[in-house]
Amino acid sequence: MANLTIRGARKAYGATVALSRGDFDLKEGEVHVLIGSNGSGKSTLCKIVSGSVRPDAGEVLIDGKPVSIDGPRAARALGIATFYQELSLAAHRTVAENIGLPELPGKGGIFVDRARLNAIAERHISRFADVAGEGFSADTRVEHLREDQRQLVEIMKALATEAPILIFDEPTSSLDRAQVERFFEILRELKAEGRAIVFISHRMDEIFSVGDRVTVIRDGETVGTSQISETNPANIIRQMVGETELAVTEGAPPATVEAKAEAVLSVAGLSGKGFAGVSFEVRRGEILGFGGLHGQGQSAVLRSIFGVSPAAAGSIRINREERAIRSPREAIRCGLAYVSGDRGRDGVVHGRPILENVTPIHFLRNRLSLVRPGSLRERAAKPLSALKTRFAGYEQPVNALSGGNQQKIVIARWLIDRPDVLLLDDPTKGIDLQAKADLFALIRSLAAEGMGIVLYSSEDAELLANADRILVFNSGSVSRELTGADRTRYNLYHAAYEAA
Amino acid sequence: MSVETAGRAEASRLAAASLIRQPLLVALILIVLLLALGEMLSPGFASPQQILRLLIVAALLGIVAAGQNLVILGGREGIDLSVGGIVSLSAIIAGNVMNGSDGGILPAILACVAAGALFGTFNGVGVTLLRIPPLVMTLGMLGVLQGLLVVIRQGVPSGRAAPALSEFVTRPFLLGLPGIIWLWVLIGLLMAFLLRRTVFGYRVYAIGSNEQAALLAGVPVRLIRVSLFTLSGAFAGLAGLCLIGYAGTSFANVGELYMLPSIIAVVLGGTPLSGGKGGYTGTMAGAVLLVILQSILTTINIEESGRQVIFGLTLLVLMLFYGRGRAMRA
Repeated sequence: MANLTIRGARKAYGATVALSRGDFDLKEGEVHVLIGSNGSGKSTLCKIVSGSVRPDAGEVLIDGKPVSIDGPRAARALGIATFYQELSLAAHRTVAENIGLPELPGKGGIFVDRARLNAIAERHISRFADVAGEGFSADTRVEHLREDQRQLVEIMKALATEAPILIFDEPTSSLDRAQVERFFEILRELKAEGRAIVFISHRMDEIFSVGDRVTVIRDGETVGTSQISETNPANIIRQMVGETELAVTEGAPPATVEAKAEAVLSVAGLSGKGFAGVSFEVRRGEILGFGGLHGQGQSAVLRSIFGVSPAAAGSIRINREERAIRSPREAIRCGLAYVSGDRGRDGVVHGRPILENVTPIHFLRNRLSLVRPGSLRERAAKPLSALKTRFAGYEQPVNALSGGNQQKIVIARWLIDRPDVLLLDDPTKGIDLQAKADLFALIRSLAAEGMGIVLYSSEDAELLANADRILVFNSGSVSRELTGADRTRYNLYHAAYEAA
Repeated sequence: MSVETAGRAEASRLAAASLIRQPLLVALILIVLLLALGEMLSPGFASPQQILRLLIVAALLGIVAAGQNLVILGGREGIDLSVGGIVSLSAIIAGNVMNGSDGGILPAILACVAAGALFGTFNGVGVTLLRIPPLVMTLGMLGVLQGLLVVIRQGVPSGRAAPALSEFVTRPFLLGLPGIIWLWVLIGLLMAFLLRRTVFGYRVYAIGSNEQAALLAGVPVRLIRVSLFTLSGAFAGLAGLCLIGYAGTSFANVGELYMLPSIIAVVLGGTPLSGGKGGYTGTMAGAVLLVILQSILTTINIEESGRQVIFGLTLLVLMLFYGRGRAMRA
């Protein structure tokens, strides 16, 4: 069995430092929990160990000997197996084939030994047999499985490698209670066998139920390791937040919105894929923040309101009028605007001139059919300059601009004709600080003019500094509302990491 | 090497690079070079009458390529392999509706364009609502059309062009150029207007370049994609009508020779098969270029089958170039 040590690991992507100092020490026979907020660097640290990311600096030692992990195969050869958060299953193959994939038992070097493959798979499936639910067997194809069952297959796949070092990156996110319990029983057995296990989870109850030690990572640095038996959830959250951030964030705006201002968007009982029973109101002039860990339903709610994938249940009122929105086109006509942080996928029309990128909403809202470039340039000039967009001319291809300026172009398209509600879905992802500052200055002035704004941000500091009110999402529903002086990083984390 | 000459070399390298990025200019230069080559191989190749004949053939191809161009611009692997079948069908319809009388021209135009648009719409619906890949959908449609042709014709060539139509296609009409060339110029202007000055045109580029972004910006993606296929069918229908004016009567699968060249003309003209950029002006130059090439191959006694081989290779070579261009952009 093996001990793993990481010293001073560092990884930067261009100017963005994902991990500035990673120190981590994993002993055989323990479950070591890694915890940190969105983008703090825990996934990067895991990827360095599993060989899918090469560190810029630092060293990795196994049993005291320096090793170089220059690819997933090298990691496997060193006895490291990883459960990936983004499931890596072959959808058209059976459960057994997926479980056996990392170590396909061979016959004569060419053929797959089916009998042994099934025997291995059966052994792992049998341990989850009574909790896996209906329709789960060795010869079911993965595409026919439910989300939780797929996650079980991914777990079995990691277990079947029999590797001495196992890394589980959020393995329990879709599992139900009984499945989690069974998984933990197995982890305890593996621990007793002397395996070394890294466990990443955001659920405090799970961490305290199965962990032996916990390492907290904050802003790309590992800030401390403690024995689970000697700490408590409040302590861990305090470490994640950092002592300096415990008070109300400086610069947090006073809640200026009058409670009497009319609701411009009201959502009641909205349920759909990835969220359930979400209700809230946005008043004119208000910036409503969506917070919490990544992927707790914030984006899904915004996209469903905007008609990208309409909700299964619930009602949406815009300016007190009930609306059934089935497509973005209808949403735009109702006065909604939506800006995605993934501008490459959802925003920019690549390789086309700035003029074409800035005008589609104007065409739709005014039901135009002919293009008059002169008048379009005039109309676009105002929002572009309000955002301090830097560009050479309207005929310039949009891809010639920096990321921040591209995002400004995308935002400007929504502002030629003012919407009533602006839905911002992590709008500052990957853009520079100056562009962020310009963007938030504009958002505040839009709110001051009476627009209702919903802001989801995966950067907690950004959220705390700009939102008048914050709804914390946890497992697809709103777990807490933070207003006034309650808008602190501590409260935000506390609500985000509570057991759902 | 002195600094100055190094600078000059750099400047000329840049000039060459920017030249290659101007497909239209490259095409025009190639047209002149090919004409000169043809004249060398066979004196009289570049005579005014010959050039006029080449332009008429290019106009026929160019009209088909206009629709092909629109479908390709719309992206998502957009391509229309059924144009050849529609051209053939339309030629038969035109021949039978006119049957040699001028009074039948107007009904023939309506029937041809309508039939083309109908089959184009089927393609569009298959691609958008049934989510069949354009390559498969339009290839299937081509099969259906070829079958239909056999049934309709029952092996007997039928129908004749109206004299006025033949005159329109082959005899000088204005400034020494036949009507069909003026029609092509008009289509060129309309296409430029459609793509650059209408919201529809902006939306075509938007769905071709980034469909998801277009959808989120309220573009009716499906409607636009269906209309592109409808237009492609309509253009092919119109071309079939003009073709019978050129040939006098319809013969077996006359339109088949338009499928590959219409795609090559579009790509030669600077519209990549991935869509979202390019335009029709380049395609027009591409059509002329291709027709000259075809004519040179005929001059040096290369058979139809040999020409098809060369066209296929041309398309593959072009793909090689554009493939590299895209890799550099990413």
